[in-house]
Amino acid sequence: MKPLRIALTKGRLEKDTVSLLEKMGMDCSALHDKGRRLILPVGGGRIEAVLAKAADVITYVEHGVCDLGVVGKDTILEMGTGFYEILDLGFGKCRFALAGPKGKNFFAGYSSKTIATKYPNVARSYFEEKGMDVRVIKIEGSVELAPLLGLSDAIVDIVETGSTLRENGLEVIETVAPISARLIANVASLKLRKAEIEELAQAMEQALRDKEETQ
Amino acid sequence: MKKYCKTIPEGTRDLLFEECGAQRHIEHELAGVFQARGFQEVMTPGLEYYDVFSLPAAGIPQELMFKLTDHKGRLLALRPDSTLPIARLTATRLQDQPHPLRLYYIQKVYSNNPSLTGRSNEVLQTGIELLGAGGMRADLEVLSMAMEALASCVPDYRIELGHAGFFKALAARLPVGDDLREDIRVSIESKNYAALDSILDKLEQTDAVRAIRRLPRLFGGEEVFEEAAALCGECQPLDYLKKLYRALASMGLADKLMIDLGLVQRNDYYSDIVFSGYVEGSGDVVLSGGRYDNLLESFGAAMPAVGFGINVDALTRLAMSRGGWHSKPAPVLVHGDEGFEIKALNHAAALRRCGVRCESSVFATREQALQYARAQGMERVEFVGAAVETVAVKEDAAR
Repeated sequence: MKPLRIALTKGRLEKDTVSLLEKMGMDCSALHDKGRRLILPVGGGRIEAVLAKAADVITYVEHGVCDLGVVGKDTILEMGTGFYEILDLGFGKCRFALAGPKGKNFFAGYSSKTIATKYPNVARSYFEEKGMDVRVIKIEGSVELAPLLGLSDAIVDIVETGSTLRENGLEVIETVAPISARLIANVASLKLRKAEIEELAQAMEQALRDKEETQ
Repeated sequence: MKKYCKTIPEGTRDLLFEECGAQRHIEHELAGVFQARGFQEVMTPGLEYYDVFSLPAAGIPQELMFKLTDHKGRLLALRPDSTLPIARLTATRLQDQPHPLRLYYIQKVYSNNPSLTGRSNEVLQTGIELLGAGGMRADLEVLSMAMEALASCVPDYRIELGHAGFFKALAARLPVGDDLREDIRVSIESKNYAALDSILDKLEQTDAVRAIRRLPRLFGGEEVFEEAAALCGECQPLDYLKKLYRALASMGLADKLMIDLGLVQRNDYYSDIVFSGYVEGSGDVVLSGGRYDNLLESFGAAMPAVGFGINVDALTRLAMSRGGWHSKPAPVLVHGDEGFEIKALNHAAALRRCGVRCESSVFATREQALQYARAQGMERVEFVGAAVETVAVKEDAAR
């Protein structure tokens, strides 16, 4: 039987996922000591892991070249869904928020607003739901800069502690959506390899519950 | 201005030689299954009025359709789906035919997918529609046919069975409005357990809520029926699915069948059973279908109907990856010497009548003809002069 292949988002989510897998008793030595390998055996070869950027995790799972993926809800909201989202892993918690200059009423006035964001789809659908016409500008780097320079009235971005916002004279106006890491599965894989995937997902859920109890 | 004369649009493909062979093979196998069961082929235009696809029941997002206008400014769409045009055709041109109608199609469908996702904008689809027939006999005919069709072109497959009425029955017992019900449906469809839980947590914990919460996990083998029955008690769609499952199992198809009670209405027009086909090696659904008893009414000819469509491109890709497809040139080249051109053409025609594939040489000299035959890897050249001479093309010389 082919091992299940799981795509992990590089960086913080990767570390959290590895510690979760280890809590489940899986050997993750290959993930600690990667060398030049790109496909890494985990748990004695029961599963194979690949590391990828968040957006690529979704692409790999959608196309079925990876059966499972661990990715943040932020990327899922931005990239849409062509896969199953089967578990909220609870780590990587933060939120999407609308933020603007402190003390200014964003919703006041008739003039249409300009929003700077790294997540144009999230921003657009949020304002569509509100029935507000806004201009969305995509920014690749520090979005906080846009309202300071006068490019936009507000930003839609990921907020963890809010300290970057405060330092730049911005404040959260509204929460757009909560974010945390999710386990996603390819549509065909979940059907063709149901038992294996469910077993893994249940073990993950159990490990998460144990962690909560010990805290 | 930049010219795009040497590239093809994103999401489209040129098919060459053995790829064409593999695709024609799959088409032929599937059409064979359909024809043997008395289904007759129809073709609908690639261009249709946009209104056919924008019916409320269609559920095709407008941004997924390629649109054009005709000379009167009316909106046209490149066919994004074959079931809707066939419903239109049935309601108009086939009104007086005795029922049921058994129709099949092999045609391309188009969708304007977001860029750089690797999705095809042009997909060859084949499928059947059994129109004017309701009930279990019709469903069994179509399901067994879907399974026979997949078995004819892949070594292994799974068909997954659900029922649109199951969710509807449960959702009707929830104290929620239309918007929230749609949110619940979407989270079940995408098996988004977390989103579903957060919606349901806000409701009073009734039996219906508990059942809905389990719905996305209610997939697998026959054991699903037991769990579902425990959760929702008497339920007509569930009993019906069980009967269908038993019937198909008694045909020896149980190991190919799965149940997914969380398979909720993908296309809005499905009213009762819905099913999908999965194949190892393809990350996407390769077959999808269901019963759509209310769709024909939108075209003014109410009748029950059931059908499915198969993604031929996906099956062709799998056939190609299994290998064994070779596109061979004709084994024989017929070359006429100067003055014997007509005799050579007649000779080639005589060979073809005997079933020999052969090419007619267009070269001026025997030398050039032989060189070409070698380069093509042909078996022999027949030189037609006063007499016919056969020269074998040597294996080593071909290299």
